[in-house]
This record gives sequence, C-alpha cells and structure tokens, in this order.
Amino acid sequence: MSTPALELTGIEMHYGFVRALDGIDIHVQPGEVVGLLGDNGAGKSTLLKVMSGAHRPSQGTIRVRGEEQSFHAPSDAADAGIQMVYQDLSLVEPQDIATNLNLGQETLRRGPLGWLGFVDRKAMRRSSEKELDRLGVRTAPMTRPVEMLSGGQRQVVALARSAIRVNGESQGILLLDEPTAALGYEQTKNVESLIRRMADQGIAIVVVTHDLPLCFEVTDRLVILNRGKKVADLPTAGADRDHVVGWITGSRASMFETAGA
Amino acid sequence: MTNTEAAVAGANSPGPAPAPAPSGQDMPRAISVLVFLRDRGIFVLWGLLIAVFAFWCSPYFFKVDNALLIANAAALTALFAAGVGIGIMTGVLDLSLPGTAAVASCVCGWLLTHGHATWLGLAAGLAAGVVVGLVNGLITIRGFNPIIVTIGTLSVLSGLAAVIAGGYTFPGLNQLEFMGTHRYLAVGDSFSGIPAPVFIVAAVFVVGTVFLTRTRDGIRLMAVGGNAEAVRRAGIHADRYKVLGFVLSGLLASLGGLVSTAVVTEANPNASPQIIFNALTAVALAGVALTGGRGSLPRVLVGALILATISNGLTIRGIQPYWATVCTGALLLGSLLLERVLQTAVSERLMAANLSVHEKKV
Repeated sequence: MSTPALELTGIEMHYGFVRALDGIDIHVQPGEVVGLLGDNGAGKSTLLKVMSGAHRPSQGTIRVRGEEQSFHAPSDAADAGIQMVYQDLSLVEPQDIATNLNLGQETLRRGPLGWLGFVDRKAMRRSSEKELDRLGVRTAPMTRPVEMLSGGQRQVVALARSAIRVNGESQGILLLDEPTAALGYEQTKNVESLIRRMADQGIAIVVVTHDLPLCFEVTDRLVILNRGKKVADLPTAGADRDHVVGWITGSRASMFETAGA
Repeated sequence: MTNTEAAVAGANSPGPAPAPAPSGQDMPRAISVLVFLRDRGIFVLWGLLIAVFAFWCSPYFFKVDNALLIANAAALTALFAAGVGIGIMTGVLDLSLPGTAAVASCVCGWLLTHGHATWLGLAAGLAAGVVVGLVNGLITIRGFNPIIVTIGTLSVLSGLAAVIAGGYTFPGLNQLEFMGTHRYLAVGDSFSGIPAPVFIVAAVFVVGTVFLTRTRDGIRLMAVGGNAEAVRRAGIHADRYKVLGFVLSGLLASLGGLVSTAVVTEANPNASPQIIFNALTAVALAGVALTGGRGSLPRVLVGALILATISNGLTIRGIQPYWATVCTGALLLGSLLLERVLQTAVSERLMAANLSVHEKKV
C-alpha cells in the first residue's frame, strides 16, 4: 500500500467534557475519494476542521504524504497542500471569475509596473481559462462577476479554485464540505463528474455530505462517524445502502466493535 | 484494498465529456443593455441633466467657464466622496471624515502661522489623516463596529482641532493659494485657466481608479469589501487591507481639508457634518452599495458632479438654492428605485435565459 496523501491516527477532540472525536483513524490515498458520513453532531465537521487546520486535536497525529505535521492555522494546512472548499464557497461575488481564481496568488506584470504591484489581468485570465479547460469546466467568460453565475457554476468555480491551488504543489488534498447542498439534480451530476476528474488527476479528496446518492456515485470508500467514533470504513462498491444508513443512525453496531470497547 | 479502490475508480470515472468552451457571447442582448444601464446609468443621467440644463438655462449653462465653475464646485465634495467611497468599497463606513479634515487643516494652519515651510504644513496635515486612519482601522479590526468607532473619533478629532486652534481659526494662509483659488493653463484673455482643485481631484481619481482596478493591493482591497472571510481563507491578511481602507479614507479626508483650507485661506476647526452628508449623497448616487465590494471611483466623481450641476443649473435659472437639495434628494431616491428595478430585471432575465448549468453542462 502506497503512502496515504493524508493520514490521521488516534484523533481525539474534547470540548470541555464533551468528546467530539474519539480515537479516529482515517486516511486518503492520492486519487481516492473518501466520503465522510454521519448524522448531525457525529463529528464530521469537527474532523474536517482538524484536517483543514482550523482546530487542533487534543490528541493524535496528522501525516501529510507520510510526514508528521501539526497545524496551528488553516494557512499551515494550505502550505502542506490541503485546501478546503467551504459550504458557503467563500467567493468574492462582485469580482470576476479570473480574480476569484487568482485571489491571494495574483500574477504581477513584468518590469517596473510589476514592482509597483500592477497585476497582469490578461495572463490571469489566460491561466484561469487553461486551468478550467483542464478540469473541463469552463462555462462562462472569465470576466463575468461571480454574482451573475448560477449556483452550480459558483460551486464549480470554488472547487476549481481549490483544485488549482492543490495542484500547484504535487498531489494535493481537497476537503469538500457539502459540495452539493444547494444544487439541483443536474448541477449535482456535473459537480460529481468534476470531483471524479479531479481525483483522476491524483488529488486526494474527502467529501462531507448528507447526500447518500452522491456518495455512492462519486466516492471510492465510505467512512461513517457516529457520536465521535468511527463506526464503519468500507469500500463504496458493494456497500449496502441499508447498512450505511444503519451506521449513520446508530441502529447498526460498529464494524470495529470489540468486547468491552 | 488498493485493488478494490482501483476497480471502483475505474467504474466511476470519468463523467460526461468536458463541455465545449463558450465564446463569451452567451449573454442575451437585453441583459447586456440592462447591466450597462445598471453600471453606467449614472453617466447617462449626468448626460441627460447637462442636455436639459443646456436648453433650459441657455445661453449661460453650456459654456466652458460654467463647466469649470461646476468642476470647481464639485471638487471638494468629490475629494470627500472619494474618501467615503473607498472606505465603503473596502467594507468600512468612515464617519470621522469631517473631524479628520478639521484636524488636518488646523495642524497645517498651526505650522504655517508659526513660520514653518508650506511643504511641512501640508505633509503634516496629510500625515495627520494617515494617523487617524490607522487609529480607526486598528480599533475596528479588534471587532468593533466601524460606524460607532468613527463617530467616537469624529468627536475626539473635532475637539482636538479646536484645541489646536485654541478656539479660534488660522486666517490669512495665503501660502496655500497655489492649491486653492489659483488657476493654471490660462490662454491669454480668452481662457482664464483651470482652478487648482480641479487638477488635484483629477489626479486623485486617476490614481485611485488605477490603484483599485489594476494593482494587486487595490483588487484585494475591493475583495475585502466584498467578502472579507473569503479573502482571509485565501491566505491574505484581510485585516491589513481593512486598515489600509481606513488609511486611504483618512488621507483623502485630510487632503480635502487642506484643499478647502487653501480655497478660503483659513484653517477652521469646525468639523461640519454637512461634508459627510454631501459625500455620502454623491457616493449613494454613484450606486456604491453600502454592503461593500462594489462601485467605482469614476462613478463617485460623476455623483459629485451631478450634485454640482444641479445646484449650478438651478442657480442660473434664479431658483432658490433650497430647491437644489430637494432635487438631489429626489434624484437619489429615484436612482435607488431604478437600481432595484434594473437589478430585479437582470436577475429575472438571467434565470429565464437559463444561464444556469441546466443546458450548458458545468
């Protein structure tokens, strides 16, 4: 088995006396899509925040491509090649697609104008077009403000922005929080195929979602949490939908249940 | 496990083929027109006003001299409007502008009357604006409401200005005449020249527009106004840009204060709230949303010009000046209404035209 892109072992998270995460082990291989499932309050979001560096676990280790890391802030995780796509997408609505894709890593012009901080809008537009073409998701001109895009297009821009960022430094890791929560059927399908294409390019992806059909469509492996514990970790192919629902609701006993645990 | 993963990946990949890249002409004409009206409507409005006054107030209105009169009258409002506008675009409403202007002009006045060089007085005045902006910004990023903070600093500053001036004013600052009433580029007797404030306003708006639309820091500044959290998540220190917004706003306010001092050759510690309301009217006319992240400086300039044009035209017709403010207010309300109507029309048409992904494939 090759080195996982992201590996968390023995993650514990306490809020006062509340144990939000209890000894979680989870890993993602490059090019693999892992669906993180669980009912409300199961600890999905907390785990995602641990992965993205927003929270520090009370205990446990995080390894990125085999190297142990400790994240103090989301920027540390970003430096390690982990990008999170938030549920609210975090796009700047009045700005156009190219600006949003390049925010924080703008291309400056060459020569003296560049020293003065002038950006090269044309180059940014071209590179954005290239990146979106590579992902196969170019639908609107790069100069269109995000506020004039549909929900699906916005989701795609947000996904593509993170994909571009993690692709810069070899095989990155993408964390997606409810990527289809606000989308219709067809838009969901399109986002699904984009997730698959990103995985095919070697990006490791963790998807948190309530959308079971999405999970079965797009993921390679399912990890199910219940009350802060991992209750199931199994390949999506061959997983029984009723069993999955059972694990989510807690009516089915954990895969890892051992005597006395 | 690796085998199963590979098999699953194979079974699921890849989805539909990438959609063909659109040419960019996928927006129907009606929407383009509406968007144009929404974003450039204020220029059209100004053009209409000029046309109406040109006939109604013929032959006095449509003259070069009158145009300069309007430009000069709009200059001060435009400077303060630029300050308020940049603040609002960055997502902060800076109400301390009149105080900043008063302090800047009193600092400059004190230095000049105590025999210091003109450049030193001006530099100190501008520096005062920058310091006020820094203080406003550093307090606000601790999580306080910018409106309350700047109301507080407004009060502090107007008091400070009076302290500096010792309760009086600094009259007779004739050294500043070169940036006040002096006119440049005169051609013999036929053309009396362009007043200094017009040049200052032109420089401020050209530099400001280039900065906000062409440079990295300007674009980030606007982005912070649009969605500060998104900018922070993109790994940028959003707070620094908030402070920068306040600093620019303070700098422009102090510049406005210095120019008004130069025009009347007297530094007055009175922080007139009228300044901020005129500036806000111009900014609101320009359609700069108070929620931030939107708007452009050229539109703010035209907003200030519209205010000056109305009062000029009505004055020429001999109509009492009170009616000018009535007109401006009515125009502002009308433009709000129009913007709402246009915005609704645009979104409805966008929906109807199905610019969503339903047909186009993401």
